[in-house]
Amino acid sequence: MRGIIQDLQSDGDDVTVLDLEAGLEHLKRGTASSSDTLLVVAEPYYRSLETATRAADLGRELGIGRVGIVANKVRDDRDANAISQVFEPRGLPVLGVVPFDQSVVLADQTPAALIDIAPDSPAVRAVEALVDRLGPRPPAPGSG
Amino acid sequence: MQVAVAGKGGSGKTTIAGTLARILARRGSMVRAIDADSNPNLAVTLGMDPAVAFAMSGLPPGLLRVVRDENGTSETVLVKAPREIFDEYGMDAPDGIRLIVGARVEHAGTG
Repeated sequence: MRGIIQDLQSDGDDVTVLDLEAGLEHLKRGTASSSDTLLVVAEPYYRSLETATRAADLGRELGIGRVGIVANKVRDDRDANAISQVFEPRGLPVLGVVPFDQSVVLADQTPAALIDIAPDSPAVRAVEALVDRLGPRPPAPGSG
Repeated sequence: MQVAVAGKGGSGKTTIAGTLARILARRGSMVRAIDADSNPNLAVTLGMDPAVAFAMSGLPPGLLRVVRDENGTSETVLVKAPREIFDEYGMDAPDGIRLIVGARVEHAGTG
């Protein structure tokens, strides 16, 4: 499966979004090694930050050009600052800050796409801002 | 752009991946989505009907073959172009997204 996913990503200038297995196993096995961007989703509590740090380190070891953090379920400035303080000194940019949002809970329960049931929700707005930061083009190799 | 999304279980990574894919598609990119999680949920976060999403099968075996060059170095290659694999085994999601589910664990212990 790893080889298929690596090769499926390597075709053309379109966008591929790869949702990895939860945890670190896929990063250890190199499933994401064809990716040019790795987004590591981190929640503002210790165990999540620890796992996210290891995931980001593994992504860099794989040679992924751009590795960034997406802070999720952020309730206040203290949460946001806690995340920045862990990652920024390691040279890991926080590319997105997604607030805790009841719309996400509702989408999970329905179940439905968040963008369909709450297109103007703070969480969707935050992912739009993340896409703005990612830009239209992948980073040049070695620039990240 | 080839974006991979990682995170702990329950971190919200799949909601972020699905929403990210939809926004990129709405902004004009041809988006392909790959669900590599053994408990696949990306389809629903992309906005597919849950019943359709649940019935999706994973990729069949046999899509990779090993090739050896004259030095004896071997590598695995896809037997078809990625485009064909997405056409053949993928499903349509909203905003023109094409989704492939890598592996579905049908029963505990088989995955």
